[in-house]
Amino acid sequence: MSFLIDCPNCGPRPSTDFRYGGETRPVEDPSSSELDEIKRLWMRRNVAGDQTERWFHRDGCRRWLTITRNTVTNQVLHG
Amino acid sequence: MARTDAPSESFGFDGREIPIHPGDTIGSALYRAGVDTVSRSFKYHRRRGFLCMSGDCPNCLVQVDGETGVRCCTRPASDGMKVEPQNVMFSLERDPLAMNDTRLAHKFLPVGFYYKTLIKPRWLWPKVEPMIRKVAGLGKVDKSDLPRHLERVYRHPDVVVLGAGPAGLAAALGAAEEGASVIIADEGEHPGSRLGDGATRDALRELLAQVEAHERIELLREHRAFGLYEGPEVPLIGPDLLVMTQPKAIVVATGAFESMEVFAGNDVPGVMLGRGAVRLATQHAVKPGDVAVILAGTHEVPEHIAALQAVGTRVAAVIIPDGAASGPELPAGVRPIVGEIVKVHGSKRVKAVSVRYTGGTEKIECDLLCLSGSLTPQENLLRQGTAMPVHAAGDLLAPAPVAESIAHAREVGGRAARGEGAELPELGQKARRCGDSGYVCICEDVSVQDVRNAVTEGFSSTELLKRYTTITMGPCQGRMCHGQMRTLTERLSPGAEPRISSTTTARPPARVVMLDEVTAGAYAHLERRTGLHDVHLGLGASFLWAGQWKRVDNYGSIEREYRAVREGVGIIDVGTLGKFRVSGPDVVAFLERLYPNHVGDIQPGRLRYGLLLDEHGVIHDDGTICRIDDETFYLTVTTSGAEEAEALMIDWRDTWGMTVHIVNQTSALGAINIAGPKAREVLSTLTEDDISKEGFPYLRQRTITVAGIPCLAIRLGFVGEVGWELHHAASRSEELWAALLAAGESHGITPFGIQAQRLLRLEKGHIIVSQDTDFETTPWRIDMGWAVKLEKDWFVGKRALVRKQDTPTEKLIAYRGESGSRHAPWEGAAVKVDGKLVGRVTSSWFSWSLGHPIGLAWVKPEFADEGQRLLIGKDNMSASVVKGAFYDPEGAKLRA
Repeated sequence: MSFLIDCPNCGPRPSTDFRYGGETRPVEDPSSSELDEIKRLWMRRNVAGDQTERWFHRDGCRRWLTITRNTVTNQVLHG
Repeated sequence: MARTDAPSESFGFDGREIPIHPGDTIGSALYRAGVDTVSRSFKYHRRRGFLCMSGDCPNCLVQVDGETGVRCCTRPASDGMKVEPQNVMFSLERDPLAMNDTRLAHKFLPVGFYYKTLIKPRWLWPKVEPMIRKVAGLGKVDKSDLPRHLERVYRHPDVVVLGAGPAGLAAALGAAEEGASVIIADEGEHPGSRLGDGATRDALRELLAQVEAHERIELLREHRAFGLYEGPEVPLIGPDLLVMTQPKAIVVATGAFESMEVFAGNDVPGVMLGRGAVRLATQHAVKPGDVAVILAGTHEVPEHIAALQAVGTRVAAVIIPDGAASGPELPAGVRPIVGEIVKVHGSKRVKAVSVRYTGGTEKIECDLLCLSGSLTPQENLLRQGTAMPVHAAGDLLAPAPVAESIAHAREVGGRAARGEGAELPELGQKARRCGDSGYVCICEDVSVQDVRNAVTEGFSSTELLKRYTTITMGPCQGRMCHGQMRTLTERLSPGAEPRISSTTTARPPARVVMLDEVTAGAYAHLERRTGLHDVHLGLGASFLWAGQWKRVDNYGSIEREYRAVREGVGIIDVGTLGKFRVSGPDVVAFLERLYPNHVGDIQPGRLRYGLLLDEHGVIHDDGTICRIDDETFYLTVTTSGAEEAEALMIDWRDTWGMTVHIVNQTSALGAINIAGPKAREVLSTLTEDDISKEGFPYLRQRTITVAGIPCLAIRLGFVGEVGWELHHAASRSEELWAALLAAGESHGITPFGIQAQRLLRLEKGHIIVSQDTDFETTPWRIDMGWAVKLEKDWFVGKRALVRKQDTPTEKLIAYRGESGSRHAPWEGAAVKVDGKLVGRVTSSWFSWSLGHPIGLAWVKPEFADEGQRLLIGKDNMSASVVKGAFYDPEGAKLRA
């Protein structure tokens, strides 16, 4: 089932209007070691609790936003 | 409430016509007409009469005009409806399957009997199962009944209140007074209609008027919450709409109902919950029985007695159970007995009740037994929401006199609006009493003896017991039996750990939900059409889905369309391609990072093919990069990838912090590709711009005017012939299409669909991303290393590509089939070498130009060399690996 995401451009909308972009992760650092790069690409924290993540407002303003969501209860803590 | 008019309306039930009085439910009309038995039970086909009269129990389920599982006690009666009993063979009154309900049969039909008996010989079960399916179950599905198409709307009030009784209404007012927006939902058409006359009903009317007048409260009548879902999200299903609410807080005020009691004969018609009998008496002016015995544990009992006496029911005795908090004050002339019910006599209808008390047992003659022993909170919904901001109010929290309850519910509403913590009752409590015989679960006919047997077999934990016996899993979802089951389990397994008799997990749905209600709104999908859709319809096109788009599959003959492009000229609507105008001071740096190919050295007026990779070096899209001027590019991507490409481009732009404007022109621009040996001839009649071989060579683009319409003409060769993609304002697509058709008429210009295009491009060896590629496809695997420039400092996916350079585990190859057959293997067919599976086909066609099947396939790298022999498909078509394009490998036709 869905939950509400407060889009800064459009206002509160059901999460089904958005595309999930996964938990936030660092941008690529060309000077990092190969192992660190592989970890960055593949290893997710996958927390049961508060997670900072990216959402794309597909059926709205078509912009990305970052929210914190509790992955257990689906409560969005910061819009 | 006396109603003297002779009713003129009626409905049919079991061969009888039942008159309808004003305000009747099906149940009240049946009861007035003297119908005690409305259906038969699930397993033993025992008689089922009226119990709760409030839609909570499973007893009065009937089939109404083909709809199964209707609780007839709350469904309004209407003229001419057809009501049928459920689980009845031949006759409601003389059901031969009631023989299941004998001591002998019970012995052979214990809980889980189908696991234990009928197993050997093995041929027996398939023969018996259909018979059991026919006998057990709830009603007969009307297969001609089509699902409704219900709409779904989303609402996000601050607070959702469930239940518009006095407590729910007060909570809604309390929340609204704090400034919150409130939606309050109730199952009934008229909130409070199941209440008898009295103080509660008066209080409710006053609150209802306030709620209806309040600007921040919306009352949804006939809207049923069937579950609390994470989010939180509360679906409210109404008569023709699913209202999906996503509140900040929820107040559950679903009240309480009188508990079912367990004793021998507890399911015989005539055993009724006290409030049910009162509802019949006060709302429908129906006498529930001549002589009543009342089990009296709640504070409402004096009111019940008064209501029954008012319609002429004599109260023979009031049984005050041990452990009742305090005996209610009884009116004079009613005989109190402190004791317990042992047994109900009678099978068609209650004849007498045996009561045990200190010093003896007594049989009291009566035809109605009212159960008002204690209250069970209506907590199915609440129990689903324990991890949510959910509050409880009213009888659900703690039964109390109505004024007290209303005052407290107001406070609860205020707390919910302010986002404060909730006070919740202890959930899933044990029942006060549970006898030693009778039915614990009246939905599925699970008796005390069945539970005893199951516990003896080791199913002593309630969670296991529930699954084994199906107790709590019937239509009432444990309302009538959950507490009794816990009490009984604890008694039968003494000394067991507390969790053994724990409360079971409550999950949605809590109320009946129809499949068409669950899918409300799901059938509504977006269909995108190009500006030429109606033109294609006029040409007799058949369509297929490409992402959200409808594209032309073909116009009747794929071969004719294909030959037109190879031998004359064809046009195809490619308006669905993803189209982006990308500009700004950082645009070159941005695109150099986005594409693995060089971008900066593309001169204005030229273009280059580009792959789009993700950080794993995997291809997610491809298309063209056209440079309009120094700081402006025009990009195309595939139809189905446009949405994803836009999201990713914006993501990268934001992440890299670059000044780049990305404008999605996919819908704003149309595009038509004109291709074939005669394409130039046709186009030259419509434009004065230079489109000669020298003046407009291959891989160039510029704006030209075609039939008066400005077009960005892109000279590409996806189909392998001379051709231009004409990108233009979508509003002028029809005009341009008509002009091209008219100009090409003498050359036999032919519109072609994407099936023809698939073969045309396959002959050129071009891949289609996502058909020929998958989530592991790097450019190395498809021999497209030429589109990757590792000498570039950095681009998305570079490190992964460097890492994966030497280790492709699969290669995409082209093959030519050598059979004389005109049948190409299926896409997805197996590829074999020496009888071993080595790969699979991704694209497959019979080429009319070449006269043999061709295709693309994934194979293990050791079988990817030119000339490798392969066997393909179930017919073992012989094939060999080829390199380069099948058609015009030097590209001479393309550049002509």
